[in-house]
Amino acid sequence: MEEGENNVRPNANTFANMLLLWLRVEKQETGPIAEMTLVPKPLSLLRRIVDYDIPVTLVVSDKAFVKSEDAAEVIKALSRAAVDANLPNLSKVIMELGTAEALGCQLEEEPDVPEAMPVTKTKPKVKHAVDGSVSDVEVTDAPEGVTEIPFNLFTLRKHLSEVILARRVLSGDNLARQKLLEASVYDVAVERLKHQVQTLEGLGLGNKGLEHADLRAWMWNWHQKLQVRLKWEVADLVSQEEKHDDRTKERLAPFLSLIKPENLSLITILELMHLHGSGGISEGMKTARALLSVGRAVEIEYKAQMCKMNNISIPSKGTHNDLSFFSNLGYRDLHARRVAARKFMEDSEEWTSEWSQTIRVRVGSFLVDALMDVATVTRTAVDRRTGEKVSEEQPAFYHAYEYIRGHKLGIIKLNPVVSDRMAKESLREALHPRHLPMLVQPKRWISYNDGGYLYNKAPVMRYKDSQEQLTYLKEASNLGNLELFYAALDVLGSTPWKINREIFDVVLQVWNSGERLGKIPPTVLEDPEPEKPENYDSDPKARAVYIARQKAHLEAKANNHSNRCSTNYKIEIARTFLHDTFYLPHTVDFRGRAYPLPPHLNQVGDDLSRGLMKFADGKPLTERGLRWLKIHLANLYGYDKGTFDERVHFVEEHLGDIYDSAENPLEGRGWWKNADDPWQCLSCCMELRAALESPDPAMFISSLPVHQDGTCNGLQHYAALGGDDRGAQQVNLGVTDRPSDVYTHVATMVEEQMRRDIETGTNEKWAHLLSGKITRKVVKQTVMTTVYGVTYIGAREQIEKRLMEQGELVVEDAWQAAAYLAKKVLACIGDLFTGAKGIQLWLNTSARLITKSIPPDRIVAASSGTAKEKAKTLRKEQMTSVIWTTPLGLPIVQPYRAIKRKQVQTALQSVFISDPNSPASVNSVKQASAFPPNFIHSLDATHMMMTALECQSRGIMFASVHDSYWTHACDIDEMSTIIRDTFIALHSSDILGKLDAEFRLRYKGYKVPLSSLSKDLQSKIMAYASSARPDQRQLEVSSINSADEMEDSDEDVYGMDPDMVTKFVNLVDILPPLPEKGHFDVNTIKKSLYFFS
Amino acid sequence: MSLALSCLRRRLSKSPNTIIARSSIRHNHDSSASSNTSLPAHAEWRSIFNPAKASVRDRVSLANPHTARLVAESFLTGDSITAGSGKVVIEAFPGPGALSRALLELDSSRIRKLIILEDNEQYLEITLQPLEALDPRVKIIPMTGYAWEAYTYLEDEGFLDEVETVPWENGVHPQLHFITHIPHTIIGEQIVAQLFRNIPERTWLFKYGRVPMSFVLGQWIWDRVAAPPGTSNARCKVSVVAEATARTEYSLPPHNLLPYDDHFHPRTRGAQVNRPESRRLGHPLVAANVVPYERQIISPGHLDQWDYCLRRLFVRKSTPLKNAITTLGPGAESLLKTLTDQSLPPEQRVDIATQIRKLNVSDWALIIRAFDYWPFAPDVRLLCLLD
Repeated sequence: MEEGENNVRPNANTFANMLLLWLRVEKQETGPIAEMTLVPKPLSLLRRIVDYDIPVTLVVSDKAFVKSEDAAEVIKALSRAAVDANLPNLSKVIMELGTAEALGCQLEEEPDVPEAMPVTKTKPKVKHAVDGSVSDVEVTDAPEGVTEIPFNLFTLRKHLSEVILARRVLSGDNLARQKLLEASVYDVAVERLKHQVQTLEGLGLGNKGLEHADLRAWMWNWHQKLQVRLKWEVADLVSQEEKHDDRTKERLAPFLSLIKPENLSLITILELMHLHGSGGISEGMKTARALLSVGRAVEIEYKAQMCKMNNISIPSKGTHNDLSFFSNLGYRDLHARRVAARKFMEDSEEWTSEWSQTIRVRVGSFLVDALMDVATVTRTAVDRRTGEKVSEEQPAFYHAYEYIRGHKLGIIKLNPVVSDRMAKESLREALHPRHLPMLVQPKRWISYNDGGYLYNKAPVMRYKDSQEQLTYLKEASNLGNLELFYAALDVLGSTPWKINREIFDVVLQVWNSGERLGKIPPTVLEDPEPEKPENYDSDPKARAVYIARQKAHLEAKANNHSNRCSTNYKIEIARTFLHDTFYLPHTVDFRGRAYPLPPHLNQVGDDLSRGLMKFADGKPLTERGLRWLKIHLANLYGYDKGTFDERVHFVEEHLGDIYDSAENPLEGRGWWKNADDPWQCLSCCMELRAALESPDPAMFISSLPVHQDGTCNGLQHYAALGGDDRGAQQVNLGVTDRPSDVYTHVATMVEEQMRRDIETGTNEKWAHLLSGKITRKVVKQTVMTTVYGVTYIGAREQIEKRLMEQGELVVEDAWQAAAYLAKKVLACIGDLFTGAKGIQLWLNTSARLITKSIPPDRIVAASSGTAKEKAKTLRKEQMTSVIWTTPLGLPIVQPYRAIKRKQVQTALQSVFISDPNSPASVNSVKQASAFPPNFIHSLDATHMMMTALECQSRGIMFASVHDSYWTHACDIDEMSTIIRDTFIALHSSDILGKLDAEFRLRYKGYKVPLSSLSKDLQSKIMAYASSARPDQRQLEVSSINSADEMEDSDEDVYGMDPDMVTKFVNLVDILPPLPEKGHFDVNTIKKSLYFFS
Repeated sequence: MSLALSCLRRRLSKSPNTIIARSSIRHNHDSSASSNTSLPAHAEWRSIFNPAKASVRDRVSLANPHTARLVAESFLTGDSITAGSGKVVIEAFPGPGALSRALLELDSSRIRKLIILEDNEQYLEITLQPLEALDPRVKIIPMTGYAWEAYTYLEDEGFLDEVETVPWENGVHPQLHFITHIPHTIIGEQIVAQLFRNIPERTWLFKYGRVPMSFVLGQWIWDRVAAPPGTSNARCKVSVVAEATARTEYSLPPHNLLPYDDHFHPRTRGAQVNRPESRRLGHPLVAANVVPYERQIISPGHLDQWDYCLRRLFVRKSTPLKNAITTLGPGAESLLKTLTDQSLPPEQRVDIATQIRKLNVSDWALIIRAFDYWPFAPDVRLLCLLD
């Protein structure tokens, strides 16, 4: 009947009965399959329902349903079908079903409903906390006094939040929810904005006009105007481009026609809002970046839609754990599985090719320009001549130029009223799901650009447009060299997290109070503006001081604003995921270090982010676990220099404070607030208290991640590489009963030096000023980063920051005091890490030589013309970057090259974008200076990944922040063993020897023009050549094309012998010999207590 | 306003405090120093004052005594706009002192007192302190003329006690006169900008009145200061402020100081590829006089507005005002209405199709007035600082 054959139009009741029938059949699981096929499935029924334009709500609420469980199940079935089938108006159907479901299950609401909607519950508090002015009412969902629970229920039903609502409908099916989340972002966002505005209007708050409107009302208004505008502008562009077929320019219209104008409009608005404050621009963003981001967002959305349309299947979770990754069998199994998955994908890959940067910029410019034209806000101010209140309609975004460090830079700024709101109001709308954690385990990585989010494509490595890196990565992936690497990323992505509810509640309370606490910035900066001195007008000096202070004050204010915005995002996300287990897909930077993709709330983030997160699963604490939990608490507090026993003792001594913190976090004595990492400390206090209060602490189910951090991890790798005994002792590779602390050591040395300065009267002022103030904290960052090649400039900045944090200096002294101190600190570090120096030198020299070399097939091209021309071409031909392979098989290409930018004219301004495809000479200085730290980072990344894989295969939870490894308290002992084993395995593999061999193989036949070696380098090479391995060091200098080289020798162009221009040596002949290895045996660390602690 | 200065001052490693401490020693200077007031011959300077040192290289100084006399005369005598007698002259950046000597050699009624600010020890010891020993009119302060502290120090120590404060409308200050070489660096460019900016606020020496100034400075800087509206690319923020605040003119026809090598130290030798042409040795110098106007277009307290508008709009100096104005802030287009209001007399309107660099001072005054009245004007005091 539902087919309409009898000219009887089916109604809701018809479908309700069909669905019931299906449900019955479905439940008789034993029934023959043939029988099943006779009954239409929910999917086909749903299609018809939609075709007949019958509201789904009517169907599921039809009287045909007697039992509400039946209705509930039908709703679920329909929802799942809707998601799977990709219905055109998917989100609408889901919304309706959700509404119905909420209505149908009213009494089954979770007991903590009001908390599920903390917006309504807490927003009135915002009002209390600020100044109680009416202007804040529009922020709230509910005016004060409205009874809360009914209103919340109402909102819950009506609220179109994708996650919360979809959870109710699709509660059993997170995969479907994640699909919905990613696939219909913009539809959902539109619905929600609309709903928001309607709600406000319903409350009588919406008709005040844009002047009092809140952010969402503004966005809705812009969206209304922009989509109309885009509709005809795109149509216009299509006809324009057809009329004037300009072959020199790629057409733009096809790209803009891929996506509905509604979505183009929203993408543009959301991207610009999200970029606010990026790139060091206060209240705005760089134009080039904005245009590129919008263009890329359109590209991503297009691809996500294609992905969805082609219904690309998600490879299901494999049974990973049976085989060890490190066995051959296991590895082959991994590879086979991945190849199969990839084959499956290949057919649908055509549309996945990348858009060019130019297209992205042009698409972005088209959209942003239109937005800037239509988006306005109304501002009100008082005319000080007339005293009248005047209103003006102003653009919400405007374009300007600023000079930033001497460069003229085009920027897009937000109108101050908009930017102001960004720090206060709900920003959930501005978040794309690719900024959010996932509800299901991320898709396994199966190739360099396939993994992580279901539909949103992201490459596995952030390679900064380096075409070369991409090529190597693809090749390695195709050869199957990256299986372990992919598997390790899968391990990181598969760690389930949840929001730490107790911390969230405290955070929310603090946030709403508007006061500063922990890293939560206050709504209003508490430091008063500096006072204007009386002699400001007459005394330029007093004026200068005042201005310096005022400037510092303003910078603090701007920073506070951007902190406020980013904290706002974190809280918003935490709120959304309060009731969910979530996952963080990971990718790596070009050195192989892993980072979570969702940028706002993740474990790599600040103390607040970490405090808000917990493992989703708990494990019984055990006795050892309890001990580790205590040590962890001491570490978080900042007491991390003592022995383990001392740390445990420290915690036991402070149990009173800890209990007080846990029980009265805000009203109590606030011991936790003085911790180094206050929020994590509080979280740990609560966990410890709960454990101790439980009947059997050893059986307490704990889900708090406990950390093990490498002490100065960079130096640890250097010491292990060089077998450096002294270095090993300093960074706890050796066996000691007390942890050694380099930072305290350096701090003491600096103090000593300053005492000497005071005695001798050199730099007395600064020495006096700083004496006694040099704590280990002041020098810590600088000591840590010396191994990564921090410069004097960087060190000075770090130290200035620390000194200002301690708050004992006035602004106008800070620069010079920090300069003085930085010199002292660097000098003290200088002779401390001699072991690392040798290896750094070797890495650096090798890199310098490599970047000077030219592949054999380019030599001839570089040797025609006059000597001057040759010298010039030679420079251009020096395009060899430093490339190496990590022990996990990941190829790494240093991207530093001369920047070649292409100019693209847009309506706003001309934008310069890098053109990744044009060859450019390498930046030799950068390649060389960055190589040592990059190489060490690639090692620490490898160590982390090995540890992750091993933890997974032993069934231990694992998370990491670079050199800080996390697991359950009860598993710390086992993880400690793994950390040591993997470190030993890594460093027993002759890393430097292999690197040397790789260089010699990779760069075989490469030639270095003698002319490009500095005198210094030449003599160094000669020294090497004469000392080491005399058998191999027959330095062979070849001369090419010497017939016509001498005609232009009157001038020494670059201060070199013109004869040298055409002289080459083989790169591999002049690579320096490896530094000699010391006697430290890396196996010792098995017994080292404090290696990672 | 002296933000740039304070930033730059950080680069100078010497703290002014230490210099003051040392100055007390210097006052009772060594009497055994050479009592020879005449300078070594120009040809020998290169070996005595080594131009490899930044402090010598970056500060081109008059060296030819004949030229120095011409310049001194053009500053203080004849129909020069800054001429006068019985003057208290503050001279900054004297270098080895050729100009200082020429000033002292003028008719003795011209100069009552010559206060010299110099912190280069070599110049102090070899050529300046002997001068102080011989001529009681000379007072040497071993501080750089670049630091504001130097001038507060002069005041605090009573060196300027005899200088009267002359009301702005009573004409050019009869006594006080500021003379300086401008360093050949970006710092020099900033000093010039700062000096002009002190005029409307009547700060620094201008609290004594309309104090005349005389400069020996690079042609390039001078071109920027003196650029009239629209005629060249040199028109910039400094040109507008200078035009608004003071009468400026060459004190000598520029050819008198050419060719460079005949008149200045250090002489050119070899290429200096790493410096912009305007800061290389050999770039021509000129001598100029500056006298603040009686009526100041930039009213006190409004300098920040001028600063902000000039700075923002000159970023787009070839753009017509009507297109460039948005750079002043969101909604700044509404200023165009004020600027073209037909109900106003023509002289109170601005042609908004004019390119920024072609606007004259009265145009600017109108723009800044409109900006000042605009209720939505950004807080420029803050924005200037953040830029």
